[in-house]
Order: sequence, then structure tokens, then C-alpha cells
Amino acid sequence: MADFIVGAVEYLSKFIFFIIAVLVISPVLTWVERKQSAVMQDRIGANRAEILGLRMLGLFHALADSLKLFTKEYFVPKGADRLIFHLAPCISIFFAVMGFAVIPHADTLIISGQPVEMQIVNLNIGLLYFFAVLGMAVYGVVLGAWASNNNYALLGGLRASAQMISYEVSIGISLVGIILVYQSVDLMEITRAQGDLLFGFLPKWGIFLQPLAFFIFMAAGIAETKRIPFDAPEGESEIVGYFIEYSGMGFGMYFLTDFLETILIACLTVTFFLGGWQAPFIDGWILQTFSDSTFLGIFQLNNFILTIVQFLAFVFKVCLVIFMMMTIRWTLPRFRYDQIMNLGWKMLLPLSLFNIVVTAIIVYFIG
Amino acid sequence: MNVHDKYKPLTWWEKTYLPAIISGVLLTFGHFRRNMVNHIKKAIGMKPKVSGAVTFQYPEVRRPFWPRLRTLHRLVRREDGSPRCVGCMMCETVCPAHCIYIVAEERPENQIEKQPRIFDIDLGKCIFCGYCVEACPEDAIRMDTGIVEISAYTRNDMMIRRDQLLSLEPKKEYYTERPDLEGKPVL
Amino acid sequence: MPTITIDGKELTVEKGKTIIQAADEAGIDIPRYCYHPGLSIVGQCRICLVEVEKMPKLQVACYTPVMDGMVVHTQSERARKGRKDVLEFLLVNHPIDCPVCDQAGECFLQDYYMKFGLYDSKMLEDKNKKSKAVPIGKHIVLDSERCILCTRCIRFCDEVSKTNELGIFHRGDHAELLPYPGKTVDNPYSVNVVDICPVGALTEKDFRFRTRVWYLDETNSVCTGCSTGCNIEVHTNKKREYKNEGRRVTRLKPRFNKDVNEYWICDEGRYSFTYVDAADRLGVVMKRVKGELQESTWAEVMPEVLTALQSAKENNKRIAVLGSPKMTNEDLFALKKFASQTLGVSQMPVTVLPKEKPFSDDFLIREDKNPNTKGAGYLGYDTDHKATRKLLDDCASGGVELLIIFHHDLEAGFETELVKSALSGAKTVVFVGSNANTTSARATYILPSCTYVEKEGTFTNFAGRVQKINRAIEPLGDSLPEWTIIRNLSRKIGKALAYFEAEDVFKDLTKNTAAFSGMSYSAIGDGGLVAEENGKLKQGDAKAAAQKTETATA
Ligand code: SF4
Ligand code: SF4
Ligand code: SF4
Ligand code: SF4
Repeated sequence: MADFIVGAVEYLSKFIFFIIAVLVISPVLTWVERKQSAVMQDRIGANRAEILGLRMLGLFHALADSLKLFTKEYFVPKGADRLIFHLAPCISIFFAVMGFAVIPHADTLIISGQPVEMQIVNLNIGLLYFFAVLGMAVYGVVLGAWASNNNYALLGGLRASAQMISYEVSIGISLVGIILVYQSVDLMEITRAQGDLLFGFLPKWGIFLQPLAFFIFMAAGIAETKRIPFDAPEGESEIVGYFIEYSGMGFGMYFLTDFLETILIACLTVTFFLGGWQAPFIDGWILQTFSDSTFLGIFQLNNFILTIVQFLAFVFKVCLVIFMMMTIRWTLPRFRYDQIMNLGWKMLLPLSLFNIVVTAIIVYFIG
Repeated sequence: MNVHDKYKPLTWWEKTYLPAIISGVLLTFGHFRRNMVNHIKKAIGMKPKVSGAVTFQYPEVRRPFWPRLRTLHRLVRREDGSPRCVGCMMCETVCPAHCIYIVAEERPENQIEKQPRIFDIDLGKCIFCGYCVEACPEDAIRMDTGIVEISAYTRNDMMIRRDQLLSLEPKKEYYTERPDLEGKPVL
Repeated sequence: MPTITIDGKELTVEKGKTIIQAADEAGIDIPRYCYHPGLSIVGQCRICLVEVEKMPKLQVACYTPVMDGMVVHTQSERARKGRKDVLEFLLVNHPIDCPVCDQAGECFLQDYYMKFGLYDSKMLEDKNKKSKAVPIGKHIVLDSERCILCTRCIRFCDEVSKTNELGIFHRGDHAELLPYPGKTVDNPYSVNVVDICPVGALTEKDFRFRTRVWYLDETNSVCTGCSTGCNIEVHTNKKREYKNEGRRVTRLKPRFNKDVNEYWICDEGRYSFTYVDAADRLGVVMKRVKGELQESTWAEVMPEVLTALQSAKENNKRIAVLGSPKMTNEDLFALKKFASQTLGVSQMPVTVLPKEKPFSDDFLIREDKNPNTKGAGYLGYDTDHKATRKLLDDCASGGVELLIIFHHDLEAGFETELVKSALSGAKTVVFVGSNANTTSARATYILPSCTYVEKEGTFTNFAGRVQKINRAIEPLGDSLPEWTIIRNLSRKIGKALAYFEAEDVFKDLTKNTAAFSGMSYSAIGDGGLVAEENGKLKQGDAKAAAQKTETATA
């Protein structure tokens, strides 16, 4: 019975995390994006969708949009490779969703004395898994572009693959610094290792230990999401991109992928550089203030509260990063293709290599 | 001079795009902060000095037009209701979009001999440049109806015909002398 | 011959010429209203004032004969000022109706006002009102207010048409151009006064309000109204086709050719283009199915015509061809070549004379209403009306299996009975033509051909002058030039004619016909060349003719 409850709670918590991450936050994110950009640009933003006169600051637009996308004609162009054409957006969204599996969203929760990792899958090679998933994401794009039987789409797909592959290199190499510092490729371990304090006051977060890697990762991460300023592959309004031929939910899935990837990159940034679910300073206080008495029959009170706080801290940090990414997205104009390539290969890559060398030397002498 | 000479090459630091990104983000974030504060102030009942947005809620609230704004054309009528236009085809000639179609006919009375039998404007092609108004020697065509919502389901319906053009009236109340003072954004 | 200097240019001029004529020859433009090279000189309007050194006053260029050593300034300050003042006088009572005036765009008042007028009106007084839009003839509308009393039209009626209909009445401010009481301007050349009127006082009824002149495209051509072959400009409105009520040719204007028509054309010729877009115009290929003519296509009909030709040939049945003097030299030559080489036709009549003798005079209008009878004769056709009758008789007696008729309405020249029996006597009647008529209504096949404004080619006028026509508009519907139809037939049967353009036909023609030898399209130019039966080419006045002065259509 206890096992069952443990299992149930475990899966429930993971499921809730997943649902929130994927199915709620993404549509909400479209709203956030609209409203945030509106406020930034002295506008009001979308506010016309209403249900029974209720407008909810335009929140219903997310609903209206999904309804629209679901009911729109799903058009397959003449000469398209039908199978791949249908499959490509699924591939795209599939790998974006898969990435969430290894994100740790709280410390170990103790249920009936048994530890439960707050991570959908506790992989000891989480980081490598993440690389693999990221590497596959490009397939959804390229296949979609190719299957559309449209030259513009194909060109967009080429731009996308060039960009994604280039920036994956920088992402990978910038994270080597993290591996060197925290001595692990298990995301849970990396997060735990960020719990200590440096010099007694500074949390031992990646951003403080690896500031250069943080910037590289952020830049390359935004490039991976293919959002402005790195939206040369899409450029909906002018240069049109790989999903030009997609309509209805096919387009919707690509659209969703963008947002999912944004969240994913935000989650990873938080995990690697912002201490993941760590809530520094209050965690000790919580452990001391609350007793470890049993709570709701299966939980320990202080552990339970701590887990909730950590989860909230994680979500809070993710929101912050997303806010930052959105601000950047609504600030910068699009990079030209050659600028993207220059930045990727001539700036970020050497910098990340430099970062590894310096980190390795320091780690060698100190650690 | 080579245009490129006008631009300084970027320094290494600028090439990272970081200074530009940071100043840009600061600017947009500044706007975000200011507007958000004003929005929140308004939401909790305080009166912000300026509104958080400059938006007009269009169909309900119209933004006053500048006096020179060019809206849908109309043909001016004489006192007896006949068109003032004499079908001289100046507007048709000057129209850069070639969207005016005039066929002239004899006018029954003698002193003014000519009038348009067909006077169609293809609004799907019109670019609202106002040249037709400028060119007209009779002040017979004007663009002051205040109508800016022009749409149709077919291309043919985008044609506006002589009698429709004649039936339109100027809309003075949509125009203002000083929209910068009168126009107040609403939330 | 006196030598004079105009604007620093030294010229040697024939004695007795006036300054304006000398200037025209040298290409120096002196403004004019009343002066017209085709009319007598009156010195009426004074707009042509020029400064002549050693003469105290400004002189009228149109009336001042040249004298040795004269130094003339057309652009000096005084001359310009003088002209400006004259213009101001002319415009004192002018209504400035330009928005409704058909002349706008080709109006000398507008032109000269923009050139050296540009003053602000000093008039406070009301303008004199005169009658407007008065029809003074079948084709002409007069607006007295716009008239500047240059008397060009009066002189035309006195000197060229010699009908004396117009005069100036009243005095001073109230002087007004009007037809004499009880008269209308209805002479056969009446519309020329519209051409020469330098302003919009005289306008054409047919052209009235149809379009604006600046929309028109111009193509040089030759009138097909009669065998004179007057040179014309075809004015079309290709860009704004919705005007003009479906008519693609807007108007014809005479084109100066000193050897043919000078500055004029007759009214009949001027309105002779209407058949181009008339209701009876043939635009689709037709064939007779169960006694009814039905629309068809080239692809369907051509093989059938070919089969009919082939079987007639193989069965040694007679094929007869009736050409038409409305066809160009090229068409006639291609037809002749095809008919004699492939079909074995030797006798080819072309002429169908109308039953009544048409009007003609000793000026331009000629009895032969076909533009190319002479050319047909040169090319070896039988231009005798009797030859046609013989051919019809043969048909009626059943001696002809297949008859090809070009253009003709046989009933116009022969008794209905004969025509009926002739057309039913032949098994197959192929009608090639641009307009439907009683003959086409009885044909087995109708092959639509182009009118003269839709194709290129040459006509030979009554005097043997070969003149060029040019394509002004696209062929209507399926219609093709006759030589193309013949060429297409020849590709499938017998010896193929390798023509791609009308010019190819003409080259072949000049090689094989003595009268035309040595000619080419470029040599014919705008003025034409005279062909002679003995094959000697009179190297003509092509050059002089090409130097069309601006005044031709003034
Ligand atoms: S506004 Fe400009 S484009 Fe429109 S009808 Fe007038 S001239 Fe033509
Ligand atoms: S310019 Fe004026 S008068 Fe002339 S046709 Fe146009 S509207 Fe009529
Ligand atoms: S004649 Fe006609 S076009 Fe010429 S100035 Fe007078 S009104 Fe204008
Ligand atoms: S009607 Fe024309 S041609 Fe005749 S006098 Fe007047 S202006 Fe001259």
C-alpha cells in the first residue's frame, strides 16, 4: 500500500510538473509574450477575446488561438511528401517535450521514509541525454522543410539546420565548464552541488563560477529556440521559413515547439547556472523552523514544505529567465545570417574553448 | 564616396553585440517598468499621471483624423445634384495606380458640355495618394469622407461606382484641427 | 537665291518664300495659328512675330518674304514679348474650357501658353459669351467661344474643298466664325477643318468625349477607303480599352505625303475604319454542319480544308480562287504563288465592280474603292470584272469543285440568282475575310482574316505607289493575316511557303515581280515608292515624304 501511494504521489507530482510545463505554460506564454511586448511598447496588447463579456486581460486569446489552430484547414501542399510532412511537426514537438524528462524540479521528497527524486527520469547521464535530445530537434525542422516541396521552406530549413548545429557546438562546449566544476553529468547532482555557499555568502551557482559559460549558453540557447534575434530560419513576415507550408495544427505544433524550447532552455539555464531548485538561505531556516513530524500520514513536514518551496523557487527562476529571454526577443532586431554564423563560430566557440581551458587550469590547481 | 566609409568598423567589444544588447534591453525594460507601474496603479484605483498605453480602442473610440488625412473619395455634386466632374480625365491620367475608369458623355444642357457616364475607382488598386484630388481642375473629387474601413469579398466589389461616389458626404466630425491635443488614449 | 540667317543659322532659300517656310525647312519652329502650308497665307493671327534686323517693328514670319542678307531672330527678347502679347490678346475672350475641350493636349493655345505665355490674366471684364457646341455639319461641332478667328477653316473651304461654307460674321469683340446662313459644312472633305483648326473650336462629333488625346497611340498606315491610298495615322487607345465603347481604333488622322494626299483625307476614308470592330466582324473560324454555320477552330477546320483541296486535286477537279483587291501585295503574292504552284490555278480574277458607280471627284476620292487593284494587276491577277463573271458562270455550271473567295460580297456586283447558283454549284466554298456578308453566309468554311490595322503589308495605289501599312492593334479573336492562312495551308500540301513575317513575303515578291524589283520595307518607308510595270524603279520622293512637317495635322 505504502509503495503504491509512494508511486502514485511520485508520478502525480511528476505528471503535474509536466502538465504545467507543457500544456499550461506554453499557451500562457503566448499570452505573456503578447502582453509583455505590449507593455514594453506602450500598447495594451490582445484584449478582445471574451467569454460572456469577460475579457480576463486577454487571457482567452490563448484559448481562442488553440481553438482556431485546431479547427483550421490542415493543408498539404501539392507534391509534398505526405508522411514526412505529417510526421515532422510531431518529431519537432516530441523532442522538445522529451527534454523535460531530466529536469530536476525539487530536491528529494521523502514519502513514508522513502526518497523520491523530483525528476521525471533520474538519469545519471542527464546532460548527455539533453545534448542528444537537442541534437534531434533539428530533424523536425529539416524534415518539415524538405517535405513541404517548397523552395522557401527548404531554404529556411537549411538556415535552421546550419544555425542549430552551429550553436549546439557552443552549448555543448560551454557546458563542459559546468561538468568540470561540479564533477558530474547528472543534473540532480549538478543542482545539489550548487547548494553550498562560496566565501560564506555567495551561493555556489553556475552563474558565479562560470559567468562566461552562462552568457554563451544563454546566447546559444536563444539561438536554439530560433526566436528573435535568431529567427532567420523562420522570419514569418519577410523571408519566410521552414514551416511556410504548414497550417492549422501543423503550424501550431511548430509554434508550440518554439515555446516549449524556450521553457526548456530556461529550465536548463536555471539548472546549470542559477542553482536549479536551490532556495539559498531559506532552506536551512525551513529545516530548522519546522519539525520532521509526519504530515498527511506519509510526508515529513519540513521536507514537504522545503520541497514545495524549492519547486516554487525553481518555477520562479524559470519565469525570470523566460522574462529575460522575452525582453531580449522584443528588444533586438533579427541578426543577418552571416552575423549569426560569425557570432556562433568566431565568437561563441572560441570563447567557450577559452572558458574550458581556464576552468580546467583553475580546477586542476584548486580542486 | 563609398557608402561603407561612412561606417566605423566595429570594435571587438562591439562585435560581441553585448553593449548594444544591454542598452537596448535597458530601454525596453525601462518602458516595461514605467508602463507596468502605471497599469498597476490604475488597477488598484490610483490615478497615474500618464496612461500605461497609447492605444485607442478603435471601433468604439475613434482617433480623430488630421485635417489632411486622405480617406475614401467622393464626387462633389452641383446644386442640382449632378456631378461637378466634367470628365476631363485628369485624375485618371495622373493616377499612379491606374485605378480610375472614366467614360465621358454629353451633358444635356449647353454651357457645361461634358460629364462622366462611368466613373469607377478600383479601391483594390488605389494607393490613396490623393493625386486625383490635386489634379482635378474642377475640385470635383475629394477625399474627406472619413471612411477608412474599405473591404469586400470580391475584387469586383472593391469597385466604387459613380453614383456611390456622388452619394457620399464629407465627414467633418471625424476630422480635427489638433488631434495631438484632443486625442486621449483610453485603457 | 537669297541667303538669310535665322537664329544664327545661315540658309539659302528659294526666292519668294517667306521666313516661316524657310524656318520650317531648316527645322526651326516658329509658332503659328493661321499659317498652314497647304493653304494661302493671310497673316491673320500675328503669333509668328519675329525680329528682323534693320526692321523697326516685329515682322510676321508667315508673310514676310525672304531677302538676301536678312538676319532673323525668333527667340530674341522682343520677339518673345511680342508673341506673348499677341497670345494674351487671343485669350482675352477664350473660355479656357480645357477640361471639357477635346483639343486639350494637341492645342496650340496650350502649347504656346506653356512655351512663352505663362502670364497672369489682367482681365477684369467678363468674357464674351458665344454659342457653344453647335453642330455645323454631319461630323463637326463648333464652339465659337474657343475660336481664335485664324480663318484656316474658311480658307480650307474656299481653296481646297471649294465649297465656301464658312465665314466670319460681326465685328470686333463679337466677330464669330459661322457657316453662311442656310449652309452646313457637309462637303466630302469637311472634317479636315477639324484637323487644321489650331484650337478646339472645331471638333469631331465621332471623337467627341471619347478619350483624351494623350492616351492615344499612333501608327502610320494607309487609308483603304479607295485606291488613292491617302497616308494616315491610326490612333488607337490600347491602354484604356474601356473607353471608346469597344472600338479599338479611336480615329484616323491624315498624314502628310506630298505625292499623294498632301495634308488631307476625305470624310469617307476617315470613317472607313469602322468595319474593324463592326458587329459583322469575323473573329472565329466557322464551318457548316448540317446546313448551319457553327463556330470552330483552326485546328479543326484546317485539316478539313486541306482534305477538300487534296481530293479535288487528286480527282483532277477544278479549284477556283477569287482574290480581292482589298488584300495587301503580300497576301496576293502568297496566294498567287500557292494557287499556281500547288493548286494549279492559273486564272485568278479579283475585281467585283459595284452595281452603281460610286462617287468620285478629281481631288482625292476615286471610283475604285479598293486599295490594291493596281497591285493585283502587277502581280498577274485579272482585274477585269468580266473575268469574275466568267468564274461564277463556271461555278454555276458545275465545273468547279472547290471555290476560295477572299473578302468579296458577290451580291454587290452580280445578280443574286447568279451568285446563288454559283455558290451552290461548287461543292466546297471557302470564304476568307474579315467581315461577314451575303457570300460568307453561304460558305462552307469561314476563315477569319485580319483587317489592315491588324497586320503589316503594302498596298499599291492607283498610281503605282507602293505604301506600307503597319500593325496598330492585335488581331481580333482567331483572325490571321491572309498570307499566314495561305502559308499554313501550304505547309501541309504541296510546296511549303517559308514565310515568317510579312517582310519575308515582300522579299520574295520583289525578287519575282518585275514591277516591285529593288524595293524593301525600309526603302518604302513612310512615303512609299512608285512601282512601274517595266520594272524600273523611280527612285522617288520617299525622303521628302518622310520629312513630315509638324503642321501636317495641325
Ligand atoms: S488616391 Fe491616388 S491611387 Fe487613388 S484614385 Fe486617387 S490618384 Fe489614384
Ligand atoms: S479631374 Fe476632376 S473633373 Fe476631371 S475627371 Fe477627374 S474628377 Fe472629374
Ligand atoms: S482650345 Fe480647348 S484646349 Fe485649347 S486652350 Fe481653348 S479650351 Fe483649352
Ligand atoms: S474655327 Fe478654328 S480654324 Fe476656324 S477660324 Fe476658328 S480657330 Fe481658326
